[in-house]
Amino acid sequence: MSGYGIVSSMTQLVLFNIFNGLIVGAFYALMALGLSLILNLSGVINFAHGGFLAIGGYIAYTLMPYIGFWGGLVVAPLLTAVLGLLVERVLIRRVYGRDPLYSLLLTFGLAFMFEDGTRFIWGAQSLPFQVPGWLVTPLSNQYFFLTGYRLFMVLVVAIAVMGLFLILGRTRLGIRIRAGTLDLETVSVLGVNVRVLRNMNFGLGVYLAGLAGVLAVGQLGLQPTIGASLIMPSFVAIIVGGLGSLPGTLLGGLLIGVASGITTVFFPSATEAVIYVMMAAVLLVRPRGLLGEEGRF
Amino acid sequence: MGASELNKQAPNIFVWLLLLGMPFWLPAIGGYTELGTRAVVLGLAAMSLNFLLGYTGVLSFGHAAYFGLGAYGVGMTIRYLMPSTIVGILVGTLVGTLAAAIIGPLIIRLRGVYFAMVTIAFGQVFFFIAFRWNSVTGGDDGLSGWTRLPLDFGFASIDIQHNARAFYYFVLVVFALSVGAMAWLLRSPFGRTLIAIRENEQRARFLGIPVDQHIWISWVISCCFVSVAGALYALLNNFIDPRALYWSQSGDFVIMAVLGGMRSFWGPLIGAAIFVVLQDYLSSQTENWMSFVGLFFVLVVLFFPRGVLGVIRRKVTS
Amino acid sequence: MSLLRVENVSKQFGSLVAVNEVSMIVEPGELCAVIGPNGAGKTTFFNMISGFLRPTTGRIVFDEEDVTLLVPARRVWRGIARTFQITEVFPELTVRENLRIPVEVAAGYRLSPWLSRDTDTKIRARVSELMDMGGLASKADRLVGELAHGDQRATEIMMALALKPRLLLLDEPTAGMGDQETYDITQLIRKLHREQKLTIVLIEHDMRVVFHLADRIMVLSEGAMLAEGTPQQIAANEAVQAAYLGKAAA
Repeated sequence: MSGYGIVSSMTQLVLFNIFNGLIVGAFYALMALGLSLILNLSGVINFAHGGFLAIGGYIAYTLMPYIGFWGGLVVAPLLTAVLGLLVERVLIRRVYGRDPLYSLLLTFGLAFMFEDGTRFIWGAQSLPFQVPGWLVTPLSNQYFFLTGYRLFMVLVVAIAVMGLFLILGRTRLGIRIRAGTLDLETVSVLGVNVRVLRNMNFGLGVYLAGLAGVLAVGQLGLQPTIGASLIMPSFVAIIVGGLGSLPGTLLGGLLIGVASGITTVFFPSATEAVIYVMMAAVLLVRPRGLLGEEGRF
Repeated sequence: MGASELNKQAPNIFVWLLLLGMPFWLPAIGGYTELGTRAVVLGLAAMSLNFLLGYTGVLSFGHAAYFGLGAYGVGMTIRYLMPSTIVGILVGTLVGTLAAAIIGPLIIRLRGVYFAMVTIAFGQVFFFIAFRWNSVTGGDDGLSGWTRLPLDFGFASIDIQHNARAFYYFVLVVFALSVGAMAWLLRSPFGRTLIAIRENEQRARFLGIPVDQHIWISWVISCCFVSVAGALYALLNNFIDPRALYWSQSGDFVIMAVLGGMRSFWGPLIGAAIFVVLQDYLSSQTENWMSFVGLFFVLVVLFFPRGVLGVIRRKVTS
Repeated sequence: MSLLRVENVSKQFGSLVAVNEVSMIVEPGELCAVIGPNGAGKTTFFNMISGFLRPTTGRIVFDEEDVTLLVPARRVWRGIARTFQITEVFPELTVRENLRIPVEVAAGYRLSPWLSRDTDTKIRARVSELMDMGGLASKADRLVGELAHGDQRATEIMMALALKPRLLLLDEPTAGMGDQETYDITQLIRKLHREQKLTIVLIEHDMRVVFHLADRIMVLSEGAMLAEGTPQQIAANEAVQAAYLGKAAA
């Protein structure tokens, strides 16, 4: 270990990658939380979630010249959510209650269309995405990686997650979503309009994807395949964290982010694969994930 | 053979005649032999998936991984180990089957969307291995520098390397053996336990069927034949790249099975044929074929969920 | 020697105690009925015997072997078969196919990729025998999902019987049936009990059926054992009348 004030380059490298992993993990978590919300209430794995993320980023990019970064950060996720509400209303709704196969194929097709659609509109090349200058400067000379933007991203994700749990815990919509997740039939009998509930819930999930999109492109750049590359880790986050558990999903996202961050230091070519190894290990010990409930024995 | 037995066999005879005559009638209607070979290879993949999906009722979205393992298995064997097409296919199949057998215990306790999610996620491991392990797999550029080789029996040799028609018939023989084995299994007591699981898992369990064990076996069988298909696919192209094990390829297999009809034995083959022709046509017509394929998924789900054979069967019975 | 011994079994769901310290002994050849008002814990009790649920505490001993922790399939192999309150069959298969599956499993062929002609003939004969016994021969090649409720239930019972069980658990065999169907199923159960010397435990709501069939009755109320005895003893028991028959009469 290092002496006073001087941090060895190895330690710094590890710290850098842990921190980086935490940020990546925060993205995964944000995206996975949205996926989880939809999966838990409606039983639909939304393959198009990555597509919504990309669209969030592209909307922000398009609007930025007019309303700036902050405006984009507020408006783009909302517009993405509106698109989500529409897609749910027109398409997703039709496959509820049918074999889960069909919802998978439907959102699969949508994912293709979104990726290709963004490529058609905005082009295949990576687009520059400007974040405010003062956010990019490092905060410390020693820990060069602590840029304001990175801290800012973690902050926004933290606020979004707290907001989500507040909505679920305190608002009427959130309480209904949680109740519906446990027993949709009873909620329906009690007079809650399940169609509206699922619609709003889908919108909420897609909002999180849109938000993740705006944040992600500030870090990773903007290209049509960004959604496809982020969706699989989000699946892993859900599986590792525990099926049906939102806190589990959050935990899962952060864990796999950090794990791949650390792996980058020691075995860079396994950076992507390590999270799947982790998933295998978790499934071996707890088939329903870390915080998932055992459904049956 | 009685008249009713002949009636039952009629669709099978029809399919085999079509397949046997493919290199002759397909060019006549504007196709080419390789297109037919591709349809048969992907048809085998979709039928193998359907062993699990349609006959066991288990929703796998990760079959591309084992397809890809079969493909890399044959390519790497021919390139690095032994210049033999047959040995390559055997190695590819073995690798894919072993991987499935090892992953099986981790996933068989899950059902429905969760099973789909975990299988698709596991598939990504193999994608990243193929993608990252440049020195051996060729990474993103794919594994080239090898070709399929003539079949050499010592006393005679068949040139499947240069003769597209000979290769088609070689593929058809492997297809027939695989499909025959699956049909035979489905008509056995073991096959009936799988159908029992599909129909009513709880009932099956309380009839003394250890459901998880049977699903595991069905999964391994299904992945075994999908890796055979993957091996043939690599031989067809004399090339393999990581896209063959990417998760979107798994979705293609599922849509083929659904499009043709999951509840019928030949359905996935028909679905694969339609998909192959459509993809061939779209990719020659437009840059944005991916959008159309996506749209195609959506339309099938909304308007054609029973598939071609499902619809035909329904018309016949009503 | 008793066939089934349930020793102080409890099941807790969160803070709810569904079954509380219930014991039971079933002798070979007996037909024992479990009755009790709705929510008394009858089905939960049953589910623990068949392996659908694992008891929170207590032991289940079948033929001198502790089966408390065995999964359902293994209990079936040892000779415990069951039917469900809501009929569980393979609706899109024919009666013949429905019966063939358990016959093959019971004969040890569940993993076989093929059957010899000889074995196949034996299995077909056994399936026919079961169909005759259950009065299903005329419907052999119809899809079970298309049959009347009574016939579906008969199919389910014969599927359980196909397993050659030593203990048959029937969860409300006459639930949702009309008078004629109830009568037919009751006759079928009686026949199986008498002719096959089959040990049966059943849950039943219809008191006519219970008093007609049972050698011994066990009354559950609020998760606990309220009374146990012959039909005459139970009919005369005041606690039972208050808790159960009283309610039914009201």
